[in-house]
Amino acid sequence: MTLRTVLRNEWRLLRADRALGLVLGVFALLFAYALANGMAWVDFQEETLAAAREGNAERVESLETELQRIADGGRPSSPFRDPRSPSVLGGAAGAHTAVLEPGPLTALAVGQSDLLPYYYDVSIQTNESSFLQNGEIENPLNLLVGRFDLAFVVVYLLPLLILALSFNVLSGEREQGTLALTLSQPVSARGVVSAKLAFRAILVMGLALGVSLLGVLFSGGFGSPGRVALWCAAVAAYALFWFTLAAWVNGLGRSSAWNATVLVGAWLLLVVVLPAGVNITAGLLHPLPSRVEMITAQREASNEAVNQRSELLARYLEDHPELAGGVAADEANRAALAWAATDAVNRRLEEVTGVYDERLAAQRTLARRYRFLSPALLAQEALLDAAGTGDARFARFRSQVREFAERWRTFFVPAILAGEQMTADVLPGVPAFRFVDEQMREVSARAAIPLAALGGLLALAGAGAVVRLRRVTGPGS
Amino acid sequence: MSTQAVLETPATGEAPPIPVRAAEFEDPVLEARSLVKRYGDLEAVAGLDLSIQPGEVYCLLGPNGAGKTTTIHLFLGFIEPSAGRVRVSGFDVARNALDARRRLAYVPEQVMLYRNLSGLENLQYFAALGGRETLSSERLTDILVDVGLPLPAVGRRVGEYSKGMRQKVGIAIAVAKDAEALLLDEPTSGLDPKASREFSELIETLRGRGVAVLMATHDLFRAKESGTRIGIMRHGRLVTELSTDEIGHADLERIYLDHMQE
Repeated sequence: MTLRTVLRNEWRLLRADRALGLVLGVFALLFAYALANGMAWVDFQEETLAAAREGNAERVESLETELQRIADGGRPSSPFRDPRSPSVLGGAAGAHTAVLEPGPLTALAVGQSDLLPYYYDVSIQTNESSFLQNGEIENPLNLLVGRFDLAFVVVYLLPLLILALSFNVLSGEREQGTLALTLSQPVSARGVVSAKLAFRAILVMGLALGVSLLGVLFSGGFGSPGRVALWCAAVAAYALFWFTLAAWVNGLGRSSAWNATVLVGAWLLLVVVLPAGVNITAGLLHPLPSRVEMITAQREASNEAVNQRSELLARYLEDHPELAGGVAADEANRAALAWAATDAVNRRLEEVTGVYDERLAAQRTLARRYRFLSPALLAQEALLDAAGTGDARFARFRSQVREFAERWRTFFVPAILAGEQMTADVLPGVPAFRFVDEQMREVSARAAIPLAALGGLLALAGAGAVVRLRRVTGPGS
Repeated sequence: MSTQAVLETPATGEAPPIPVRAAEFEDPVLEARSLVKRYGDLEAVAGLDLSIQPGEVYCLLGPNGAGKTTTIHLFLGFIEPSAGRVRVSGFDVARNALDARRRLAYVPEQVMLYRNLSGLENLQYFAALGGRETLSSERLTDILVDVGLPLPAVGRRVGEYSKGMRQKVGIAIAVAKDAEALLLDEPTSGLDPKASREFSELIETLRGRGVAVLMATHDLFRAKESGTRIGIMRHGRLVTELSTDEIGHADLERIYLDHMQE
């Protein structure tokens, strides 16, 4: 009964207070803009991927035509791009672009999809340095601050809306003098505060979840109901945490100004300072090797490879005796020598990028360990996982591209070493990439950890709120 | 409809009427036994014994800091007693605060309401919180008008109300609740003589319905007019109790001043 009564009264107060309506209106616009921004990114990504797919088809078609023409007695259009050569067919001219389709809810959370490559040109030249480069030229400021998407609004701005609506949920009643009349009725402060916060939660979560579901509807994400449910659970748990924190602070019995200061301080600490602190600490403890160092290593390896091609080929064949039949380690077999050089460069780069990967993994381990300090980090992780734009999906993509590059090499390198001539008949057998997305149960199992931790923080704040509000028996307490 | 009529007309089909009681045969509605409230070394209420029967209007007189408001807050359960016991209709306030409050109505010295809502909307809210959510808008409007709020003001924002008008809404909240006991903390403070007079009439009507009233006041005249018993408090103690039938205005003033000078 209290709940319904308070909800109705709060609705009347909201209608009578233009400032509150204005705040909600501004946030509704921010939500809408964030969604539009996310959808624009997905459109851009899909256009890029469509162009990549088209490029794949065009390259195959062009090579097929050229091979057919040569088979019919024609001459190669360029002696350096003779498609009969496996090093040309498996090289840049015949490269296959491996693409990662946007996650089912990318429109809601761009995540790192603007930072991490979502397509790679795979050829026999593909090596570890390929995975460290992003082909897109992007505004560095955008990359630094991230996209203004719905996940950003939920993680960073939604708490501010919640705090703006809730910081004085009890102290305001005390200051305007209505608490005495309220608590002279057969209601508890806890019941009244809960009902008032429930009203705000309906508004705020209705807005956040409503816009999210609109985004899902527009981007066809309802095909992944599990991800949609995860997204909604993360938004709800995160929003409830902030509501509960506001209830706790109100239960301390201080002024509205004090509450506002403490809650904004909590937002600053939990949303800005701690996540930044974790990132900085991870960077300091496990610094990544500089790109200059990696480029230098690549050049040194290339120079060395060019100078010692014959020796490198001999060494390569020693390592791969199964490929040695009929290959002469001399200058006459230029393609074989070139491959040996490429392989040598790749090996050298693997050493350098191995250090990079190791340190990056150490950074991520540290960040994962300390994410429990900040509900913002937990919420972000759960939201990105739900959207399919988190680290895990990109790592899976990279791993599958690595495997694909290996298959590509396995297909072309023996032919290079054997000095074979390719024909149009081999084209249907050339490996093609198809990303195998993760199963929902994998996503759920991963997202369950930040969600459970968020639930733990929520329970902690809830217990604090219950204890403090139980002590509020009158307008002076 | 007059105030008397509104208060005596049961809210047919909307809420059960509270039966009229005969004061002399009932258990006390408001009862304090050896009540003590300490704030550090200060004893705001020091061993208060008080018993108010249905249909009684008990006026607590005393200077600022005598413990009158603290006593009312103890009955409301706003604060916990340091010692002793407070009961409302047999419910121990410390243990069953909500049951006690269900039987109480309270009008503070400054009735503060939601400024952006109308008098009627405020009344609807507080009446519903008090368990009278089934009262219709028409009925609540009648109550507001009968406690003296002009009809055109009923739908106006409370932010535009005078203190007296807000006080009337406070009284309307108490009336709508149909409580067994009424706690009034300086209810006529700041009211003009006409409004004070109307207020006394209202108290008289409620008394006639068997409501037990505890009123803290500085107003000796109003205490004599409205009260059936008067208790004079000083330093948290009840220094004397008087029956208003047995004393005149002049006697009351003299007795009060005598106690204040001791």
